Amino acid sequence: MDDTLDPRELAVAREKEARLVEWLREQPSVLLGFSGGVDSAYLGCVGAEALGPSRMLAVIGRSPSYPAEQWETARRVAEGVGLRVLEVDTHEMDDPSYVANPSNRCYFCKSELWTVLGRVARERGIATIVDGTNADDRGDWRPGAAAGREHEVRSPLAELGLTKREIRALSRARGIPTWAQPSSPCLSSRLPYGTAVTAERLRAVELAERAVRALGVRGDLRVRHHGDLARVELSREELGAWLEPGPLRALAAAVRAAGFDRVAVDLRGFRSGSLNVLHGVTAA
Amino acid sequence: MSAEALEAALEALGVHGRVEVRGKLAIVTVRDAAALRDPAVRERAVAAAQSHGFTNLALELGHDGDAPLSGD
Repeated sequence: MDDTLDPRELAVAREKEARLVEWLREQPSVLLGFSGGVDSAYLGCVGAEALGPSRMLAVIGRSPSYPAEQWETARRVAEGVGLRVLEVDTHEMDDPSYVANPSNRCYFCKSELWTVLGRVARERGIATIVDGTNADDRGDWRPGAAAGREHEVRSPLAELGLTKREIRALSRARGIPTWAQPSSPCLSSRLPYGTAVTAERLRAVELAERAVRALGVRGDLRVRHHGDLARVELSREELGAWLEPGPLRALAAAVRAAGFDRVAVDLRGFRSGSLNVLHGVTAA
Repeated sequence: MSAEALEAALEALGVHGRVEVRGKLAIVTVRDAAALRDPAVRERAVAAAQSHGFTNLALELGHDGDAPLSGD
């Protein structure tokens, strides 16, 4: 992960950050959809500093499609950066359109999230809802973004052109612990489109990824669910070491213990959105 | 996409095994994974799978917890 910016790039990033502070200060009050990931942690930190705790509320949407560890990370990060946090449950698993797992599944999840968070904002008189979408995200396949637009959710990081690399560098400079954290989209992204999203499948993926992490995997990791088979994607930097006999045995045992009959390691390594490629939603 | 054609291509790289096809995913089971520990061989194996129409090539790990891959 190259988070290093040269002095000119860092100056550009700092200018964008200054504009972000201005943008936030123009809002009477802000509700942040908070996952504890790199982007929302950075936005929360800058927001808490710019607005103070009385004008900024971070809301964590909890559901089976996010690993419990992620909520714990989010709580820890919020505490560390002085963010006021509210946790609410979301119920996308009750929506048959979401459970059917179409290629625009994220739209139904985000519709539920922003409906619930919109209610919180109205009840508390909060003027603006924001998320942590960054400038790089706009080039990806993200059907959830349409739900955000429908609910008038603003994405200041993307609007001001802040890229993931810049956000990591600025987070590092601020001492935000998430600066080097791998991206961690929801667990449903591990299921091929058309495979119904069930609590059992999500749990198997969550347990398998937790077990592999416990073995010492530090970088990007996905356990993709292919029915009886789990396909493990590791970062290219780590892949070679895990193909040695001992680590392979440990990897297989850990994933099987999570409930999969068969285990395979992807030989290309981690790729964001690899199931999109597998299903022809995006190009290889 | 043909399992046999990909098996032959992998064989030429020194990767001897069987290929199972699941859509655009190719799953290879080998007797000895040693060749695939070489990043250059892995890269060529993935490229071979792609040239045969697969988007992903995955190495299946054996069922015997003590010796998942014979020839380790």
